[in-house]
Amino acid sequence: MSEDKKKELLEELKEGVINYDEERVKKAAEEWIKNGFDANEGIFEGLAAGMEVVGDLFEKNEYFVPEVLMCADALYAGLDILRPHVKIDESKERLKGEVVIGTVEGDVHDIGKNIVKLMFETAGFTVHDLGKDVPLEKFVEEQMRTDSDIVALSAMMTTTMVGMKKVVEKIKEKNPNVLILLGGAPLSEDIAKKYGADGYAPDASNALSEALRMVSTLREMKKKGEI
Amino acid sequence: MTPKERVLGLLKKEKIDRVPCFSGMGNVTVEGMKKYNIKFAEVHKNAEDMAKLAASTYKLYGYECAVVPFDLCLEAEALGSEINWYAHVEDNILYPTIKTKLVKAGDEVNIPDDLEERGRLPMIKEVIGLLKDDIGDEVPIGSYVLGPFTLAGQIMDLNELLKISFKRPDDVNRILTGLVDVATRVAKLEKEAGADYITIREMGAPSDVISPRMFKTLVQPHLIKTIEGIEAPRILHICGNTNPIVELMNECGADAISVDQKNDLVQTRQKIGDDTILLGNLDPYNVLVQGTVQDVENAVKDVIEKGVNGIWPGCDIWPDVPPENMKALVEATEKYGKLS
Ligand code: B12
Repeated sequence: MSEDKKKELLEELKEGVINYDEERVKKAAEEWIKNGFDANEGIFEGLAAGMEVVGDLFEKNEYFVPEVLMCADALYAGLDILRPHVKIDESKERLKGEVVIGTVEGDVHDIGKNIVKLMFETAGFTVHDLGKDVPLEKFVEEQMRTDSDIVALSAMMTTTMVGMKKVVEKIKEKNPNVLILLGGAPLSEDIAKKYGADGYAPDASNALSEALRMVSTLREMKKKGEI
Repeated sequence: MTPKERVLGLLKKEKIDRVPCFSGMGNVTVEGMKKYNIKFAEVHKNAEDMAKLAASTYKLYGYECAVVPFDLCLEAEALGSEINWYAHVEDNILYPTIKTKLVKAGDEVNIPDDLEERGRLPMIKEVIGLLKDDIGDEVPIGSYVLGPFTLAGQIMDLNELLKISFKRPDDVNRILTGLVDVATRVAKLEKEAGADYITIREMGAPSDVISPRMFKTLVQPHLIKTIEGIEAPRILHICGNTNPIVELMNECGADAISVDQKNDLVQTRQKIGDDTILLGNLDPYNVLVQGTVQDVENAVKDVIEKGVNGIWPGCDIWPDVPPENMKALVEATEKYGKLS
């Protein structure tokens, strides 16, 4: 009985996100808590599962940016209700890592960056979004302030892209273990490598898998005591 | 034929000797800046320098136009937005951007009666006049305005605009109706100052951002009104993925349409037929800046074969384009663009 209810509510959370129906998500999230189900499970098996489908629909050109942004609002509405009920130690364990993200100085193209940010949040990363047209120094400062594992930089223009190289240098100089992920239309695997970054991804879903790969390598190295 | 006769002849669908090599968007080069010792960050507010720099691509390479302004902030600034000029950035060319959004998304945009007196609009008038005096007899002067939807994205938070476009289209329609007025008034000022052709840049509305359905219901009606309100010739330009909307672009009433490198020209020709003047597609960065002289020549040949009526890069030419590539662009057009 309770298993059935659980299944039904997870489906509601997921479908509510996919259909950008905030009310539906809120209702399901409240019921989820009332039934005493595990908040984390609701977030990851319900809300995040829905957002994953949204990501696919976007990549297939069935959803466009406005649709994705509305799905995100539905997701956040659910998170607002579920998150306060996540048990503290569990939230730590579940935490994938912290990310500083932003579009580099001189560049106001932030549509792609916002979608990447969304995928990170959905997957359980803590994201510090610096916005767009971000002075290069700001990335360094924010990384130090938050002690984030990853710095993700976006650029949509070839002139602003060159600023990324400076950010990579400055951050690595202060803290060589910070992982740097680059993206945006003019970037490529080769350029990212040349700039000294640790990863590159052509789109939002690859950005996520790339980030997960980078973080697990980092954790692995920490465990072995290499860093 | 002079470049002016050739370009205007093309846009009027008259008989011309070869396809012209020109643009309705940015085309200033680092070489031009060196020639006159002009800093990009300072040129946007200096009428004389702006005119000199705009004419330099013709003078240096024979590129067949001069286009002003160089940034996308003109209208938003006249409406009251604060602009970031990046005066502190020394070693890099950054395009001016808008510092803070003027209104909350969905709120009424107040359009001042004396719009034409605000921001850099009086200056642009002066610049076009200077260009006219300098090279206007032989070279066509181009200018541009933003499409209403793209302008809306400049003066309010774009994320919010995209969401309310879905949730409250009536509100957005009301805002865009007001912005049609801004676009046509700015274009009128540019025309009266002496601009020979106007490009309408609606680069916030390609299918990598909004759905073709939203383009049709929310963007296209206002583009039609904008174009109706501007004296010919008018070119409608959209960057990014335009494959799903190129027919809708063609219905907007412009004298020519322009697309970028993401467009499949062959399919586009099939969709829109042979009557429409089609421009663009030539990749302004990967070919013009990164490519070799041979790449540039091949690209010119390729886009002509695929059906463009003019050599016109898919977006602003990147200023650090190598001089030999600019030369190759013009020469290849002369070589492959002959019309019998
Ligand atoms: C919309 C748009 C604008 C809007 C931006 C609105 C906004 N707030 O973002 C406006 C109108 C303001 C604009 C302005 C300009 N633009 Co513009 N613009 C575009 C356009 C049409 C679409 C970009 C977009 O949003 N795509 C949709 C998103 C979802 O895709 P995306 O950004 O690629 O993001 C995906 C991936 O790249 C990746 N990704 C993105 N970021 C990150 C980060 C990380 C870490 C990772 C891993 C992955 C990742 O994942 C995303 C999701 O899948 C492109 C055209 C094109 N062909 O792309 C031109 C384009 C980017 N613009 C261009 C230009 C030239 C300009 C201007 C300079 C024009 C001018 N004269 O002023 C100004 C620049 C102002 C400035 N200083 O920033 C050029 C740049 C050329 C170049 N080689 O550098 C382009 C490519 C057009 C062209 N055909 O040449 N533009």
